[in-house]
Amino acid sequence: MDQLLQQLINALSLGGIYAMLALGLAIVFSIIGLINFAHGDIMTFGGYGIFLSMVFGFPPVAALCIGLGAAVVMALAMERTAFRVMRGADVISLLITSFAVSEILKVFFQNGISARPVPISFPAAWSGSYQIGGMTIGVAPTASILVTIISLGCLTFVLRHLAIGMAMRAAAEDFDMLRMLGVRANRVVAAAFAISGLLAGIAAVIWTAQRGSVDPMMGFFPVLKAFIATVLGGLGSLGGAVLGGFVVGTLEVLTQAFLPDALAPYRDAIVLSAVIAVLLVRPDGLLPARTSARS
Amino acid sequence: MSEVALYAHPARLRAANWLRTLAALGVLIGTVAVLTLVFGRTGERIALLMCVNVAAVVALAVFCGNTGIVSFGHGAFMALGAYASGILTMPAGLQRSALPELPGWLSGYELSVLGALPLVLLVGLCFALLTGSAISRLQGASAAIATLGLLIIVHSIAISAREFTRGSQTFYGVPRITDLTFVLLAAIGVVIVARLYRESRWGLFVRAARDDEDAASALGIYPRRARLVAWTLSGTLATLAGALYGHILGAFSPASFYLGLVFAQVVMMIVGGMSSVGGAVVGVVAVTILQNTVRNLEGGITVVGVTLPEVFGLTTVSLGIAILLVIWLRPQGLVGGFELGPGAGARLLDRIKPTVPVTPTPRPVTTEILKARGLSRSFAGVKAVTDVSFDVPAGRITGLIGPNGAGKSTFVNLITGQYAADTGTAEIDGVHLTGLLRHRIIEHRVARSFQNLRLFSGLTAFENVLVAALAAGYGRKNANAVALRELKAFDLGGIAAMRADNLPYGARKRLEIARALAQDPAILLLDEPAAGMNPAETDDLADRLIRIRQDRNIGILLIDHDLRFVNRLCSHIVVMNRGQKIAEGTPEEVRANPEVIEAYIGRGRVARAADASSTQDQVLAN
Repeated sequence: MDQLLQQLINALSLGGIYAMLALGLAIVFSIIGLINFAHGDIMTFGGYGIFLSMVFGFPPVAALCIGLGAAVVMALAMERTAFRVMRGADVISLLITSFAVSEILKVFFQNGISARPVPISFPAAWSGSYQIGGMTIGVAPTASILVTIISLGCLTFVLRHLAIGMAMRAAAEDFDMLRMLGVRANRVVAAAFAISGLLAGIAAVIWTAQRGSVDPMMGFFPVLKAFIATVLGGLGSLGGAVLGGFVVGTLEVLTQAFLPDALAPYRDAIVLSAVIAVLLVRPDGLLPARTSARS
Repeated sequence: MSEVALYAHPARLRAANWLRTLAALGVLIGTVAVLTLVFGRTGERIALLMCVNVAAVVALAVFCGNTGIVSFGHGAFMALGAYASGILTMPAGLQRSALPELPGWLSGYELSVLGALPLVLLVGLCFALLTGSAISRLQGASAAIATLGLLIIVHSIAISAREFTRGSQTFYGVPRITDLTFVLLAAIGVVIVARLYRESRWGLFVRAARDDEDAASALGIYPRRARLVAWTLSGTLATLAGALYGHILGAFSPASFYLGLVFAQVVMMIVGGMSSVGGAVVGVVAVTILQNTVRNLEGGITVVGVTLPEVFGLTTVSLGIAILLVIWLRPQGLVGGFELGPGAGARLLDRIKPTVPVTPTPRPVTTEILKARGLSRSFAGVKAVTDVSFDVPAGRITGLIGPNGAGKSTFVNLITGQYAADTGTAEIDGVHLTGLLRHRIIEHRVARSFQNLRLFSGLTAFENVLVAALAAGYGRKNANAVALRELKAFDLGGIAAMRADNLPYGARKRLEIARALAQDPAILLLDEPAAGMNPAETDDLADRLIRIRQDRNIGILLIDHDLRFVNRLCSHIVVMNRGQKIAEGTPEEVRANPEVIEAYIGRGRVARAADASSTQDQVLAN
């Protein structure tokens, strides 16, 4: 029982990170049709933001804020330089563009900072644990779950109740119509990138706080999982992305905890195969996006 | 092009296809020749790797180019090929030290590279069939992500299955190939296979499905199966390329086949032009030159007294920039959307003499009747079609009219399996169409056109009609003749070699009908064929449809808003409004029906003016 609860917390914590990354991908995809391969590098850049500000002697909390800001700036810069000229291109061209942007950024990280992991030392208390009813629970997973819940809550509020949020949801269903209504396209797209950058930044904060180092590939692997999550949830569906993130995270934690040792190295393969098996039954994902196609 | 010249088209297409294959091979062989003759040993080494890349990228383009789905998963096949061929060809002594835990049934074969090849290809084929059965179900971006998933799965298995692969450590002892001729021949073989496939029946099917999945399904193409064929061939060829790559490297690890390799190969494909084999070859050549130039700079060189610093990853950056520039400036790649080389319309081929073929007579249509019985369908509470029943018999043009939103197109979509009916049936000759998968409808000789044009934009006009005839089950020779017959019937001979997306509007409309007729239907459903046409074009279309009905005795269901057009063609008219059938009969009967008048003119006028009917008669008669 104890172990189960422990794993549940782990699953929620990891799933939350995937969910935020997947949501960031889905917001951008639903509006401009871009599957952003470079999303992981936004997260990595956030991580380096934290690292560099700590090197320059900022206190940890300020460093985290700078990391968030760095991720948002990176997302906006990417939109402005690489993707705005591509507006309206097909999904494949956009995907390849982001693929190239990602590769270029990785080389910059390798040359500009280091190809090896650089350490970030947070206060010891952050990686500690506390006791509830005889159970040991880590501070970091708890904080990550709280942060995830708060972030998703705030985002839901923005999307549901603020004009820019509603514009983004409308853009997700029919971007051309929204433009005809006089909403400024660039503002909506920039807002979408900013939000996706912010979510990637939050993920970077949680990730670095739990692992204590940054390397050029830091964001890459969690974002790969987030890709899978968005497809599992249904490409372009925001709710689906969150659900997919939690499902992938849970699967990963469960396989880690309960797989026999002999099979443990095959964990990723098993999780991914399970996801693909789900897609065979539901090719449009768990919560398919609404579209307005007619023949 | 005159009518006689049209008959030369199949022969010209065949010649053009061979010239295009030669063009792709010419680029490959020419580059290899220049590299070896000008740069000697260094050039030979570069050429060796380039040939493997040609094989790999052309294999990749067999799937990506023809389906429009970018695959990131072909690194998996390359890894499979390299490890499989490595294990089978490794000297027994080396194998005992390198792979001590290798199971007995796999160890000690010591085959030659050529001897191992059939086995390796078989393994690749099986793996491609297995993975393809999943991936071919997905489309577009979802499919691309799934292929990425495949790459990660295979990569993690390669790292974990230490007894076969030495895990993430270097896998060594693989016999090395240094013979350029052998690798060049392999690359040539892959190019030829890819070219043959692209122009074959299955290549045309999958490209049609790429351009418009709904239209392809309506023609009887099963997009999933067509994609599976493409994936299987592509994966098998990639396995071959992987085996060659492994033998060139001699020692490798799972990382050799991971994202770095995949990125480089996708760049090569996109830079050259993904949709053609020639494009893939040109892309490999261009990127190889770029890579080798930049690699010389990477170590840091001195230019005019200034020493550039050593930059790690400069090749990656230059690849990234190359692909960005190509996508921004030439989205279709260096070669463009066409295959490299002359098309069937090229002047070069003017000397090919037409052979006047025997025009095949369409399969006879006798007494087929398409019967709709109680068809209903609602969308989220909106009743689009409610309990609609009527017959479309052979030999008659039946009109289906009604205001916008009356449910006419939905009705056609219900019959052709685009949507599943909530209740009711559609049957022809006692066979239920409702419940059939939509690509099976054509087997019962029901063809359709679409309201908004759905041509295969990447195919020529001729190929659009040809693919329909092939999908209807004709062999290549007969399909050619049938395609010519329909192009002639719709006066499209002069534009046979033009791509569908370059055609003028009227020609596109006619081409869509020609495409449907090439399937020899008994019943043809035409959804607004005259929409957007000017009066002269409409009259011309009416003449052609009347002639076709007379000559072939087929039944036509004609949906249109141009009532003059409908009245001229149809001896029987069905009227729908708000999802329901409100009237049926001869044009005169329908015109006199008060419900029809109300649907078209509105209630107020009917109540107000007693003599309205005469006015409305005129309106409807126009």
